Amino acid sequence: MSNQVTLSINNQPVTVPAGSTIIEAAQKAGVSVPHFCWHPGLSIAGVCRFCMVKVEGMPKLQIACNTPATEGMKVDTLSDEVKETHKWALEFHLINHPLDCPICDQAGECELQNYYMKVGKYQAQMEDQKVLKPKALDVGDTLVLDTERCILCSRCVRFEDEVTKTSTLGIFNRGDQATIGTYPERKIKHNYSYNLADICPVGAFTAKDFRFKCRVWFLKETKTVCPGCSTGCSVNLFQNSSQREYYRLKPRHNAEVNGHWMCDTGRTMYEHLNASSRLASPQLEGQSISSAAAMQAVTDAAKGLAADKVALVLTAQFTNEEYVASLSALKSVLKSAPKVFIWRDESEKSDDFDGILFRGDRNPNTRGMMDVLKEHGITATVLKGDYAPLAAAAPELTLILAPEVESAYPNLAKAVGRFSELKKTVYFGNALTDSAKKLWLRIPVKTFAEKSGTFVNFNGVAQKLKANPAVFANVKGVDEYFGDLSRLAQSAV
Amino acid sequence: MAYVNVSRDPERNWKNGYLATSMLGLGTTLVTFTKQVFGLEESNTVQWPEVEYQYSDRFKGAHFLTKRPDGRVRCTACFLCATNCPAQCITIVAGESPDKGVEKYPVRFEIDILRCVFCGYCEEACPVDAIRLGPEYSMAGLAERKWVYTKDYLLERDAVKRKVGEKQVSKKDENVKHDSVDSALPNIHLTHTGGGH
Repeated sequence: MSNQVTLSINNQPVTVPAGSTIIEAAQKAGVSVPHFCWHPGLSIAGVCRFCMVKVEGMPKLQIACNTPATEGMKVDTLSDEVKETHKWALEFHLINHPLDCPICDQAGECELQNYYMKVGKYQAQMEDQKVLKPKALDVGDTLVLDTERCILCSRCVRFEDEVTKTSTLGIFNRGDQATIGTYPERKIKHNYSYNLADICPVGAFTAKDFRFKCRVWFLKETKTVCPGCSTGCSVNLFQNSSQREYYRLKPRHNAEVNGHWMCDTGRTMYEHLNASSRLASPQLEGQSISSAAAMQAVTDAAKGLAADKVALVLTAQFTNEEYVASLSALKSVLKSAPKVFIWRDESEKSDDFDGILFRGDRNPNTRGMMDVLKEHGITATVLKGDYAPLAAAAPELTLILAPEVESAYPNLAKAVGRFSELKKTVYFGNALTDSAKKLWLRIPVKTFAEKSGTFVNFNGVAQKLKANPAVFANVKGVDEYFGDLSRLAQSAV
Repeated sequence: MAYVNVSRDPERNWKNGYLATSMLGLGTTLVTFTKQVFGLEESNTVQWPEVEYQYSDRFKGAHFLTKRPDGRVRCTACFLCATNCPAQCITIVAGESPDKGVEKYPVRFEIDILRCVFCGYCEEACPVDAIRLGPEYSMAGLAERKWVYTKDYLLERDAVKRKVGEKQVSKKDENVKHDSVDSALPNIHLTHTGGGH
């Protein structure tokens, strides 16, 4: 017996693995079936009764999410009967929905709104008053719950039970009094809480981090990779392009890496991208200079130095392309490879793993960096809490590719203090701390949101970053700076 | 073949000439002047600024923000006016209201009046009757004046108060609230008893 079944959806044949449901088959066939409670990353509940389809030979309409596809099944999603059912199913969902879309943060990406425009558009026939339920409840450090907006799809309950296994949420009471809520004395406290706001098809869960900051229709999304840890989740980064302001990250489905989810730590990865938390121009001994002057200063400092008097300190937060560019530029300028060090934070426990996604190695490209170093035949010394090997090398010039996500390096200030004791240090990064002011030269670089390149995650999966326009037009990427360096060094000869 | 001779204007004669028409016009002026001097006819001229012209209530002049009955701003910072504005002259920064029944309120609400085209789309988009185009039409000023109207200015405008008075407080229906909501005010959303969404 074959483990594939072929069925037809709207007279279009589609083959799916045996045991798939109609909604999965429809998705594969490119037919959209409206749904609320079904989520590909969660178990099947079948509570919203919205994904009704007509199956030939069955007396009544069936829910597509919980009906297994069988060989030769004929499914219809376009008939008037199906459309009418969707319409009235939607009216049932909206009976007690407060329709406070203007103040609801979900407005613009709300499935109720979308389906009303797509399959609804009816005149409401409900005469009774809406049932009032608790609003704006504080259910944890990250989320606000509005039980009036909830349509009881139970996605959040299943997420808590199945993904994080914390089981904080439940549905209480019955009938039109049923509400979503946390069990008494319990709050949503885990590192995956913002996923609840994502999977909520309406605005019942809203993220405190994003609440009221920006309406979603002003945001544009970019498909990129989270730089928060070595898992490297596929994400969408949301920017208000007219303000050049980043507002949030959301997970993008990638079966190979993160599935449907991402962690709360990763959600903060937009904070360091905005202008207020960044260095705007290179600082030479505390004075602002142009990027061209900064690279000229680096070239002058590197001129005539032996390769072993130059140290390159790497952190695993840059793209493969940038490592290759910096190593090959230095090789061509110095005639051989410089001494390479790898800077890890002393508190780092790189083998930690929380069992879902988040890893102790808070660098997105450790694997890629190691591969590039191996390719160049370089053995690097690891600096982890102990900076003696770097001091012992007594470099005349130290080039530091500093961490872009500074929150991943809690002991950054201490390390920067140690680096500032060295002779000439060039710090490619945004450090705005006081200890950084003692560094010889600080050069701001592009963030992960502004550059194209490759991150290789812990598992060896290479993913591409996609560039947005830069927040500061004069700030370049590390690869461009090192390109300038080799060009300037050549023209000097 | 028939043709029209356009080399000479057929209307051209002494009655249509400069002198005759000027005298005719002056005659009309003199007649009206005399009538008005002796009170036989009323003048249409408004002696602005001593006398103000009374526009219709529907006139779309400078904006004002309406208030709730307790005097607080009615706007819920939904951004629909800012989204709808063709001149993009409305800037809103939303914040969490200490009153949970309101939830969202504008921390800043600014209108760049030099960009505004007085189309009234903001008024039309507003779901809570918070912004209206008021009766104020004489907004001339010098370059150094602040041309960005702030929230406080939009709420407390003497010209609006003088002309609109109590109408500045919106009487739009408000919904009842659940007991859990810690608020002195009813919820902002409308009572929904049928009649479409």
